[in-house]
Amino acid sequence: MRYFDSFVVPFAVGALILFAVVLWKYANWFIAMPRADKKRVARGIFSRRTAEAVGEVISESLLHRRIFRVNPLLGYMHASLAFGWFLLIAVGWIEAAAYGLTFSPLWVHVFFRWFGAHYGLEHAAVWGIDFAFVMDLLLLFVLSGVALAWAKRMRSKMMGMRKTTRHTPGDRIALSALWFIFPARLVAESLTAAIYDNGGFLTGSLGNGLLRLLGPEVTVSAEPVAWWLYSSVLCIFFVAMPFSRYMHIFTEIPLIFLRRYGITSSEKESSFDHFQVEACSRCGICIDPCQLQSQAGYDRVQSVYFLRDRRYGMLTESVAENCLMCGRCQNLCPVGIDLNTLRLNSRDTLRNTPNERRYEYLRGIDPSHGAGKVGYFAGCMTLLTPRTLQAMERIFSAAGEAVWWADREGGVCCGRPLKLAGETDSARRMMEHNTALFRKHGITTLVTSCPICLKVFKEDYDLPGIEILHHSEYLRRLLDEGRIGVEHGAESFTYHDPCELGRKGGIYEPPREVIRSVGELVEPAQTRENALCCGSSVANLAIDDRNQEKIAVAVAGHLEATGADAIVTACPLCKKAVSRGSTRPVYDLSEIVAGHLKESAPADTPQA
Amino acid sequence: MAINWGFNIARPRAVDMDANDLSITRRIMAQMPEFQACIACGSCTATCTAGNLTSFNFRRVHTLVRRGEYEGAYEEMGKCMLCGKCRLSCPRGINTRGLVMLIKRELEDK
Repeated sequence: MRYFDSFVVPFAVGALILFAVVLWKYANWFIAMPRADKKRVARGIFSRRTAEAVGEVISESLLHRRIFRVNPLLGYMHASLAFGWFLLIAVGWIEAAAYGLTFSPLWVHVFFRWFGAHYGLEHAAVWGIDFAFVMDLLLLFVLSGVALAWAKRMRSKMMGMRKTTRHTPGDRIALSALWFIFPARLVAESLTAAIYDNGGFLTGSLGNGLLRLLGPEVTVSAEPVAWWLYSSVLCIFFVAMPFSRYMHIFTEIPLIFLRRYGITSSEKESSFDHFQVEACSRCGICIDPCQLQSQAGYDRVQSVYFLRDRRYGMLTESVAENCLMCGRCQNLCPVGIDLNTLRLNSRDTLRNTPNERRYEYLRGIDPSHGAGKVGYFAGCMTLLTPRTLQAMERIFSAAGEAVWWADREGGVCCGRPLKLAGETDSARRMMEHNTALFRKHGITTLVTSCPICLKVFKEDYDLPGIEILHHSEYLRRLLDEGRIGVEHGAESFTYHDPCELGRKGGIYEPPREVIRSVGELVEPAQTRENALCCGSSVANLAIDDRNQEKIAVAVAGHLEATGADAIVTACPLCKKAVSRGSTRPVYDLSEIVAGHLKESAPADTPQA
Repeated sequence: MAINWGFNIARPRAVDMDANDLSITRRIMAQMPEFQACIACGSCTATCTAGNLTSFNFRRVHTLVRRGEYEGAYEEMGKCMLCGKCRLSCPRGINTRGLVMLIKRELEDK
């Protein structure tokens, strides 16, 4: 056989196993996807979305733009490895093609330095390109990434990472193999360059140095060993790849395409989830933003570990349930994995126990009163913060709004806490019950002061013809339309973004505008998309009280550091949580509006 | 002749801690040691969303479970909506929502 040497065998076997396993996985996952998802792919494949996906693959899978945004050095490290290696393969291919070897076996392109030298292909600038120089430059680019990766292991702070992932033994093997690939390649190519004088500035000069150091005899006998070593390390990496964190290298690509075609994860597990789970590179960027790690010291529950446990079938309830689902990690995930939804559908798999007879007692229950086109759903948590309820009463009466009070005297939960606990089928019973109530009373606007309820109303309830508003949006509307008037006071307020309202609901401006209408707004350091979680989220079923309080104290301290007179939030649960740690007053948005109403007795005006 | 007094009195009943099988209770306690801190004050029950609508009494059920009386507890716990108000009102800081789920999980396998 032409163009063959025994040292390419490990490489060829490794590559064969790699592609066989990867394709087998993708085929199985795709076949198991629901028919509706496949139809989306069929519809999207010949549309603009494919081009957009290609663009995203280039910017994310090769250049890693999102990691650059987290930290430039970290971004450079990933890009030099991914993009650099890609270029080595691509330019290696072009080089072989320049010698007329376009359709030769894979190893000829990959080990072209060896084949070029041993088969007497003249080392010269082909097509006016000095390939030896270009390839050396690319190798140097990749090696700089490897050096940074080594440095990151010793001092991750250098790349803005307080904590990095604790890897499994399998990952460590793959990681070590990856680190050795490029130094092994450098040595192999240098030795060949020394013997055949075909190196560039890097391999050429290193080769000359080695020749002088080792002498010609040793150099000649070391050369095949070096190539065997290089090929073997490649083999180890390739075989480990589909079973380790490095599965992300390929999996991010189909994920980007499928996502662009509109496929999403939902509250029930589906085959598409495999693409998300295995696209996780376990980079550990999700660890630092996690307050369970930084404040509560839970070290094994972060998204990276959750996805790992789920992928290898060792997910426990204690890991699945110990998450605030605040979305801070999802916000930073460089692969854009829908972490909250995956956590949710894992809980569904672990916990959901359909029972048609459960919540039979809901039938016929209607403790609501009043009548009006506007319905107000306080939500369970608002019933525990009666000042919010009283403030809303005063605002409604000042605006002359006729209100249907859905649950002032107690009502049925919105269903989101059950859904977050994984009991998705039971949660439906509550949603059906409340939907029927809203229909029965003929409301056209539904106002809630609880972002948890708001989220479930918007996402899981089917309420055509009913406008769903958070009270911050409703209050802003009342102010804009002049239906209520407020006095602008001298107090300064800082605002705590509730996770369910901000990151998960996209409502950032309305509460801020309302605050500015009654006082001065001072933003905390971590705000909007980066806002901290209060720590008492109903999504966390495992956290204990002590740790909830620790997080609350940290958050309150962070808010108080603004120097504002008072803390304002727009979620009853956040209010309760932050109050535990704060020495300043904590108000719901409605309270400060009610306290500043014109022509109203300033009975409970917040005093600075 | 039975007279309707408008209320009735619970039949006298003793909880026999020796006769009761406490194995499930022990498992629950081991997984949530903070449950031992419960003083049965009833705040959880006073704020309970489900208790407001039905006869569901969380304090009664978890107290009975603590004493090894499991009958009907699973079905009763099924009435809970997991809204989490009880957790906010608990003066002992017990993760009551987690407790509901734990009791259900342990009794399911009984």
